[in-house]
Amino acid sequence: MDTALDAWFADEILVHEAALVHYLRRVWAHVDDVHDLRQEIYVRVYEAAGRARPHQPKSFLFATARHLMTDRLRRGRVVSIEPVGDFESLNVLVDEVTPERRLGARQNLRRLADAFDLLPGRCREVVWLRRVEELPQKEVAARMGITEKTVEKQVAKGMRLLAEHYYGATQSLADDAHDADRNREHGRKQTD
Amino acid sequence: MAGSRQIERAAAAWLARRDGGDWSPGDQADFDAWLAQSTAHRVAWLRLQAAWNQSDRLKALAAGVPPGEVPARGAWSASPYAPRGEAQARRQEDQANADQPDRDEDASAVAAPQPNAAPVTAIATASPIGPKFAPRAVLRRPRAARYAAVAAIAVMAMSLLWGWQRYGVVEHRSYRTAMGALDTIGLADGSRATLSSDSRIEVALSRAQRHVALEHGEAFFDVAKDPGRPFAVDAGARRVIAVGTRFSVRRDGPDLRVVVTQGTVRLESEPVDGHTQPTTLLPAGSIALAGANGVLVRSGSVEDAERYVDWRNGYLVFRDTALSAAAAEFNRYNTRRLVIGDAAVGELRVGGNFRWSNAEVFVGLLEQAMPVRAERLPDRIVLHSR
Repeated sequence: MDTALDAWFADEILVHEAALVHYLRRVWAHVDDVHDLRQEIYVRVYEAAGRARPHQPKSFLFATARHLMTDRLRRGRVVSIEPVGDFESLNVLVDEVTPERRLGARQNLRRLADAFDLLPGRCREVVWLRRVEELPQKEVAARMGITEKTVEKQVAKGMRLLAEHYYGATQSLADDAHDADRNREHGRKQTD
Repeated sequence: MAGSRQIERAAAAWLARRDGGDWSPGDQADFDAWLAQSTAHRVAWLRLQAAWNQSDRLKALAAGVPPGEVPARGAWSASPYAPRGEAQARRQEDQANADQPDRDEDASAVAAPQPNAAPVTAIATASPIGPKFAPRAVLRRPRAARYAAVAAIAVMAMSLLWGWQRYGVVEHRSYRTAMGALDTIGLADGSRATLSSDSRIEVALSRAQRHVALEHGEAFFDVAKDPGRPFAVDAGARRVIAVGTRFSVRRDGPDLRVVVTQGTVRLESEPVDGHTQPTTLLPAGSIALAGANGVLVRSGSVEDAERYVDWRNGYLVFRDTALSAAAAEFNRYNTRRLVIGDAAVGELRVGGNFRWSNAEVFVGLLEQAMPVRAERLPDRIVLHSR
């Protein structure tokens, strides 16, 4: 296991997930494919970085995304030119709409709290008890009157949804964060 | 290869099991084997685990929350854990939002005409003038007549003023855009209209009505809420009415397309051969195509509907669109026209997002990816099958 590579991947690649997903949704006609595309892009980036770390992770990530889409196209997946749509302008657009995800500790906490609040009720409760209060699975099950298996399932669900909201961030979340940033800048001179 | 969602679920299940505690070396070995199976497994695991590790920080929110209790949603938005400035900004924003309706109501109360007030005061001030300033009998008649006339004029002026306030035209203007130009106009009532390329609208706002005629082209309206004054867009034989909402109306000769991205609008049609036509209510997400044969409504997601108004951001969005239709779309924005050279080329299906200002890129992509040959002439580009 290459833990340095894993850490690099989390720090340099996953932080751009919201921008990546936004980009994919814009260029690729089939929204259902985006999840698959995202993963395949991650696989390529991860494998390439295992051989040599790219100097500019973000550019590399988006270049990989473009190559992947072109490849899919060449494989004759669709008789259409959908994903190739106007790369030059979209490159610019990507930079415009991408707030960097290098968050301060407070912003980070805010994002997590928002992601956590988006979990469905029972899932949210399980995550809180397991993750924050660190109650044993058994005790969570007893307290909530559900089976341990259910607790485990809810934890699994919580992991997926937290990752989705925290990294991927639905667009609205990203926009909110962006707006909040702007509000702060307007509201007072930046103190940090 | 399993789909990405399946892999993600599997990874989450592994992680949750390990998280649950009851984890044997055998489990670890199985899990390692699963991870080693493919990079797809590994990146899915890595992503979930990284987020899960991050969520450890949620503990910072636990201070002050009694053990065993799960805080209410959003409990910390105004708490000291949230960044101070942000919490403040939010509070201010909330306050501003809370103030908003009041302010609107005040404004409308002031602006709302009070039908009887003006004429009553006019009479009250005008009528005493006559008798009071008629000192001598000889002069009485002509003077009285004169005063009466003055009073009548005053009354008339006041009622005219009242009428003007009530029905008077606040804004009457027409706006047009050139080929390839977009323009957003702020109307006097606070609504906004975005005109697409080569479009023309005639705006007539009065104190009682809001009326826009779409002469040709397409316009997107962001209508300020005003229940007392519906916002009506006339386009040929049809009329689109809204109170406070967002929608676009587009005219293609006799055909009309209405796209609603927020709120609900009403689509009315003029009677045909003396028969009243049904009124259609279009909720957000609707795309209505009105032609000679009636109205076809497609209801979908708002997100979907918004694609149809992406031209406002400089984009044309195609989804499995015939090339002939896509070319027509580009031709709405550019003087150098895309011409379909033969039927076969017109039937090719295309998709994607394109800058409407850059038909050249679109043609280049067509040549690269499709059996298309482009013949570039100074005033047009002819597309042929290859």
